[in-house]
Amino acid sequence: MRIFTSLLVAILFLAACKDKEPKTDRVTKIPTLDSSAMIRPERAVNPYVPVDVSPMDISYYPVDYPKLKMSNNNIAPPLARVVYSRPHLDGRHLFKDVLKYGEPWRLGANEATELDLYSDVTIMDKKIKAGRYIMYCIPEENKWTIAINSNIDNWGLHPDNQKDVARFTIRSLQTNNRVEYYTMLFEKTGSVVELVMAWDNVEARLPFTF
Amino acid sequence: MKKFFVVFFAFQLVFISLIAQTSALPPVDNSPMDMSYFPTNYPVLKIQDKVTETPVARIIYSRPQKISRAIFGGLVKYREVWRMGANEATEIEFYKNVQIGGKKISKGRYTLYAIVNENNWTMILNKDTDTWGAFRYDAKKDVLRTEVPVQKTDELIESLCMVFEKTSTGCNLVIAWENTKVSLPISF
Repeated sequence: MRIFTSLLVAILFLAACKDKEPKTDRVTKIPTLDSSAMIRPERAVNPYVPVDVSPMDISYYPVDYPKLKMSNNNIAPPLARVVYSRPHLDGRHLFKDVLKYGEPWRLGANEATELDLYSDVTIMDKKIKAGRYIMYCIPEENKWTIAINSNIDNWGLHPDNQKDVARFTIRSLQTNNRVEYYTMLFEKTGSVVELVMAWDNVEARLPFTF
Repeated sequence: MKKFFVVFFAFQLVFISLIAQTSALPPVDNSPMDMSYFPTNYPVLKIQDKVTETPVARIIYSRPQKISRAIFGGLVKYREVWRMGANEATEIEFYKNVQIGGKKISKGRYTLYAIVNENNWTMILNKDTDTWGAFRYDAKKDVLRTEVPVQKTDELIESLCMVFEKTSTGCNLVIAWENTKVSLPISF
């Protein structure tokens, strides 16, 4: 019994260590991963266009489509992609210093976030035709309203809600992450494909059915 | 006792799923993407109500940095097809029909590659879009090949840059990196 107790203590101790180590690791991991990519100010200087502090990025569905295409010449066309800019927290807190509840946000920075649909899609029972759109959101504490809008090639401020094609209300969730750079990606979950929008400790998912 | 192990394993599962979730988020890239329009800054002009027509062109490309490396003839090899950027191949879109190198180019999306030489670049417009790098470049899908002369810049340019500049017949797509630049004339 004594051996068993000491074994139990050892396991408890290990469990406690496992708890602590990865937790600190996890908290620091994301900013480290991201900050390695930061453009040093002297490298941002450019006689034509400086490198943006909120760099642009692109996410496809199927995930990593351009890479998949490299190894498969006969791949079907992609289904969707988002082109968005990635602002970062830089010590700020999302809903304290950056965004306000009830005010539209471009889901990124600079140019409005672009959604390219290569085929028709159903989002929460509503059919959206293939084509190019922009997206923005109106965040609330526990839900986000996501608008799909036809006013493309636009800067992200002052979206024209007259040109909304559809609006969806989705839950927003608190996570244990602290995501330094705003992130969008598609993720297949069961029979739907979710467009994940994550920044700081907040995450929202818009379900697509292709 | 059993309870303890159940709690212990439940904890491990939660922990593993947290890690999995975290690492699934893509990090910011060392060669960040950027976008240029013609007319220049079209999206800003649009919210200022200064444009009435659609844009003419836009380019989406990634911006690798020089970081003390020799670029042309070094990192970018002479006489090889280059994606003109990093990661995804560079995408150019024309919102209306244009002319390049005396040839009509229909509106639409294309991939833009270059073959870099000491004194000139061969610019290649290719129909195969949404692709990565130049690894599966297929010359059969070329729409256009045209040569442009290399010009030298006074300043050293750290990050690859692409921008449209207005000309009397349309615009030039200016591509600059290190101490080299080329201009691709587009008329419309």
